[in-house]
Amino acid sequence: MAKVLVVTSGKGGVGKTTTTAALGAALAQGGQSVCVVDFDVGLRNLDLIMGAERRVVYDLINVVNGDAKLPQALIKDKRVDTLHLLPASQTRDKDALTDAGVARVMEELREKFDWVICDSPAGIERGAQLAMHHADIAVVVTNPEVSSVRDSDRIIGLLDSKTAKAEKGEEMEKHLILTRYDPSRADRGDMLKTEDVLDILSIPLLAIIPESQEVLRASNLGCPVTLNNPLCAPARAYADAARRLKGEEVPMSLPVERKSFLDKLFMRRAA
Amino acid sequence: MSETLPEPIEPETAQAASPSAPRPLSLRGRAFKALALSPEPPLPEWLAGLDAALKRSPTLLKGRAVILDCAQLKPEPDALETLMNELRARGISVLGIEGADAVGAGLPPLLLKGQPTEKVEIPSVPAEPPQPVVTSITVEGSVRSGQSVINPTGDVTVMGSVSSGAEILAGGSIHVYGALRGRAIAGAARNPRARIYCRKFEPELLGIDRLVRTAEDMGTTLRGKAAQVWLDGGNIRMASLD
Amino acid sequence: MSILGIFQKRNSGSVARDRLQLILAHERAESGRPDLVLQLREEILAVIANHVAVEPDKVKVTLERGEAVSTLGLDIELPLGAAAKLDAKLAAKLAEVAANKGGRPGSSKKAA
Repeated sequence: MAKVLVVTSGKGGVGKTTTTAALGAALAQGGQSVCVVDFDVGLRNLDLIMGAERRVVYDLINVVNGDAKLPQALIKDKRVDTLHLLPASQTRDKDALTDAGVARVMEELREKFDWVICDSPAGIERGAQLAMHHADIAVVVTNPEVSSVRDSDRIIGLLDSKTAKAEKGEEMEKHLILTRYDPSRADRGDMLKTEDVLDILSIPLLAIIPESQEVLRASNLGCPVTLNNPLCAPARAYADAARRLKGEEVPMSLPVERKSFLDKLFMRRAA
Repeated sequence: MSETLPEPIEPETAQAASPSAPRPLSLRGRAFKALALSPEPPLPEWLAGLDAALKRSPTLLKGRAVILDCAQLKPEPDALETLMNELRARGISVLGIEGADAVGAGLPPLLLKGQPTEKVEIPSVPAEPPQPVVTSITVEGSVRSGQSVINPTGDVTVMGSVSSGAEILAGGSIHVYGALRGRAIAGAARNPRARIYCRKFEPELLGIDRLVRTAEDMGTTLRGKAAQVWLDGGNIRMASLD
Repeated sequence: MSILGIFQKRNSGSVARDRLQLILAHERAESGRPDLVLQLREEILAVIANHVAVEPDKVKVTLERGEAVSTLGLDIELPLGAAAKLDAKLAAKLAEVAANKGGRPGSSKKAA
């Protein structure tokens, strides 16, 4: 039976989809069978980050409605064959995703995969609530920035009250991923410190992902950052996070961008 | 319940036409729903049960159409009179009597052909009227942004922290064994002696009784420290606990 | 970093631009006719069902949106012995259905 993970944040644009793709790919490369699911309705993102945008035939709403069976909607990744994607619908309205329908699809996904990673949309409305409802584990993505931290806190409150686990009186395992971390701004004191964020949110830290142009580059190319350039700092941080999720003890470190000789030569990276 | 249906009566035929002839009387049948009281022997026990029900719910039969169903009791005429007096003494006015062979003069009319309708539930009222109980609420974890903890009748204790964007409203005092970063309003039920305590003072808003202060007017000396807040005269006072 | 790495870095922006142009062209075209693929599948299944009993699960639909041409793939698992029943008439019928429904599937414009 699978572990269901939700990647959520409250605030938009902090790195949920990037994290979903990176963690999914890292886990799949380690031999696990993984399905990443896009829970947005109306705005489809995960397929673009995964590079599968040209192959989308059926989406989550098609499966919920019975227009298609789950295997027909799943898109296998061309690079790692234990990695699959269930895309979101681009065109239909949010009421098309019924509670019962989603529950049924989640059950089916649990039977087929080791890991089901749900990419939550931003906000606290239906899409976000549906994405978190069936999760066993939550990964809360936060930037070291005030509104992101407060929105993450709100989301943590919802994780503790509006999920199946909460309804059963069980505590959901929650982890923090701090993204867009800039070591130089931190040194200058221009950025919320990691300890401050942890103190306010009070959930354990899974990883610190440094700000990096590699993330943008990977999304340009349609490839999860852990597959595109496994040696870059964010990829290594995500790989460590995946290992921690599997239960391994990995000491926390802040991977620093290794400047290559040619990088220094050209100074400015052309994205 | 029994439906009561008066016997239809033939309208009087009109007299031969004359200028001052009275208008013919028209009578029509109407059906109503009424509550039926069905006393069972022994009568004193039944009356005691009636009294207990009326004590729990004094307005139970007030203003209701009540029928006395004598089918079970089968009283003698003078016993019926006594029963009527007992009911009258309890403020119960009987509209009609069914289940008896005949009624004496001065008593409500005899009714025939009653039909049962839906059962009437007597609302169950708790034995004692609820006294306002003073309670304390304890929150084991943290109170997150967007959450509210409200306890109008007592204290609120939070073992974790109160996040920015969260709110605690207490009739009594507020105790936060972590950081207070949200809004805390104590003594909400006109209790100026209530206090607010926290281990890390960073609130957005504080209130005691009807007085409120926002973060702007709090200064920075206490920030991050363990503190207590109380009302002194007409002012909110704040001081470090250490 | 290899020389190839330099080129990759220089071009990721243009790769992004090309991907976006392609997919947006398809999405704009498809928005006029939603669920084209769904309808095609239903109708083709109906046509086949006239001749051979096929389970809906055994029909796999793939779509690859390309620059000049898109490819709609239909993988149909036929029960044993059914292949013999298929003849040129059926193949022609399928092509007719597809042509009527979608014009030329995957007509894409390369955005200027």
